[in-house]
Amino acid sequence: MHAPPGPFRPEFWKSPLRGPWLTAVLGSVLLMLMAIVALTGFLSHAAYQPDLGRNALVGTDLPFTTFFDWPTGPSWLYAFTQGLHVNVGLFALPVVLAKLWSVIPRLFQFPPVRTPAEGIERLSIALLVSSTGFLFATGIVNMQYWYVFRFDFVEAHYYSAVVFVAALAVHLVVKVPVALRAYRSRGVLAPLRQGLAETVQEPDGDTVALRPDPPTVSRRGLLAGVGAGAGALLVANVGQSVGGPLRSVAFLAPRREGGFPVNKTADGARITEAMVGSDYRLVLRGGANEVELTRDDLLGLPLATHTLTLGCVEGWSTRQTWTGVPLAELARRAGVAGAGALLVESLQEAGVLRQATLARNQMADARSLLALRVGDADLTLDHGYPARIIVPGLPGVHNTKWVGRLTFSA
Amino acid sequence: MKARYGSSPLHLLAHLAALALAAWALLQALQLGGWERIALWLIGAVVLHDALLWPAYTTLDRLARRRRPAGWANYVRVPVGISALLLLAFFPVICDKGGATYARVSGDTYDGYAARWLLVSAALFVVAGALYLVRSRPGSGSSS
Repeated sequence: MHAPPGPFRPEFWKSPLRGPWLTAVLGSVLLMLMAIVALTGFLSHAAYQPDLGRNALVGTDLPFTTFFDWPTGPSWLYAFTQGLHVNVGLFALPVVLAKLWSVIPRLFQFPPVRTPAEGIERLSIALLVSSTGFLFATGIVNMQYWYVFRFDFVEAHYYSAVVFVAALAVHLVVKVPVALRAYRSRGVLAPLRQGLAETVQEPDGDTVALRPDPPTVSRRGLLAGVGAGAGALLVANVGQSVGGPLRSVAFLAPRREGGFPVNKTADGARITEAMVGSDYRLVLRGGANEVELTRDDLLGLPLATHTLTLGCVEGWSTRQTWTGVPLAELARRAGVAGAGALLVESLQEAGVLRQATLARNQMADARSLLALRVGDADLTLDHGYPARIIVPGLPGVHNTKWVGRLTFSA
Repeated sequence: MKARYGSSPLHLLAHLAALALAAWALLQALQLGGWERIALWLIGAVVLHDALLWPAYTTLDRLARRRRPAGWANYVRVPVGISALLLLAFFPVICDKGGATYARVSGDTYDGYAARWLLVSAALFVVAGALYLVRSRPGSGSSS
């Protein structure tokens, strides 16, 4: 049986660079990057503490995702892990494209499947490529607020990450030996010493071209180009995660303006001036106890001031000096000193994130506040006036704004 | 077994384990609201890369290299590649796609993203052009 014309014929492929060594290098780099992205992704899942209250955003969860309490220190913990997730993900994009380029002749191999082993292997590759593309595409559009996909981002991103990890694991079982063989026979770094003039084909491998063109770039030149692309994406975005003067360098980051971005405006959350005016009362509950406090009552309680970083799931962060009542103090006032759980509810009437449950270690941290002021001024309405939660290391949206009710339980 | 299956039993078991976990996750995803769109995006990601992105950039690259001396193409490849990559990753802000949602949640607007992308691209082309001029002068050594 003859292969159809075009890419199904081996002589179609012209690049002298393709081969097992190049794929091994791209694969090794990609493995390190994707390990960071996957690990920080699942850490973010854990940071939302889905086992508490109604925190869970994913319906049916794997049983081993939250076996530890998310720590409260350092305060930039979540900003750091999620900053890595988004920025290393962006950095990995050109490496993914280059990796796919290096093996694309395999997509057109003819006949497509020669043995059952090859069939099942190609199925797992399809899942790997598909879940990778899905994760990158949904992550990238989500961080830029383009909700064009019209499905639940968190759940779909989580389940496709599970598909990705499963498919990657079996890909490693099959391909690590191939990569090691390439490293052993060509040397790990030796091909990098070849300039354009010394660049020749790899001696064997099923992606090596049968009738190659002369090289137009060396292998190290190709890798440098991929690195330059990755670096450009990083520079374009990382400033919104690091903050400071780098923020304005981040020329394509969604959160490059100002130092204190708003995650959700009062308008967007349907919070009106009337809801936070002189009638505002914070309801403190502990068991059968119920106490109502005005904002002036709150300002009369012992206040603490701490400089803490707020990190958003979209990868940006901001560091501010917050003044407010320690949550531990409010727990005492509610009659549940040393409370084990705290349900925080916003005045906001709708939305999954109008409430969040905090854990014992988070209330025990003296820096966990019901913040009333930021910097030298009262909170603005968009930042959660009259009162908002700020807990070190907690994902941004769990620092509930416009707090209306705190329910402490033992 | 080996002859008929094409690999070792370990190969089969590893794949069955991975496929079982992946199948669990896919079944969960396909029970969500908008599951048709999730399936579409899963398949679409592969189709867009294999049938659109890869053929497009390979064809452009082949056209750019046609009848030109070796090494010429890289001065175009690198800046065009980086510019295209920035557009691919930041298409929504550059083309103001999430703008309405962004304005509602942040109280801010996407301003100047397309301009900054174009200016950075222009700078990349200028730098590449300058490098080409300097390096292609007689007497200067050329590199890879």
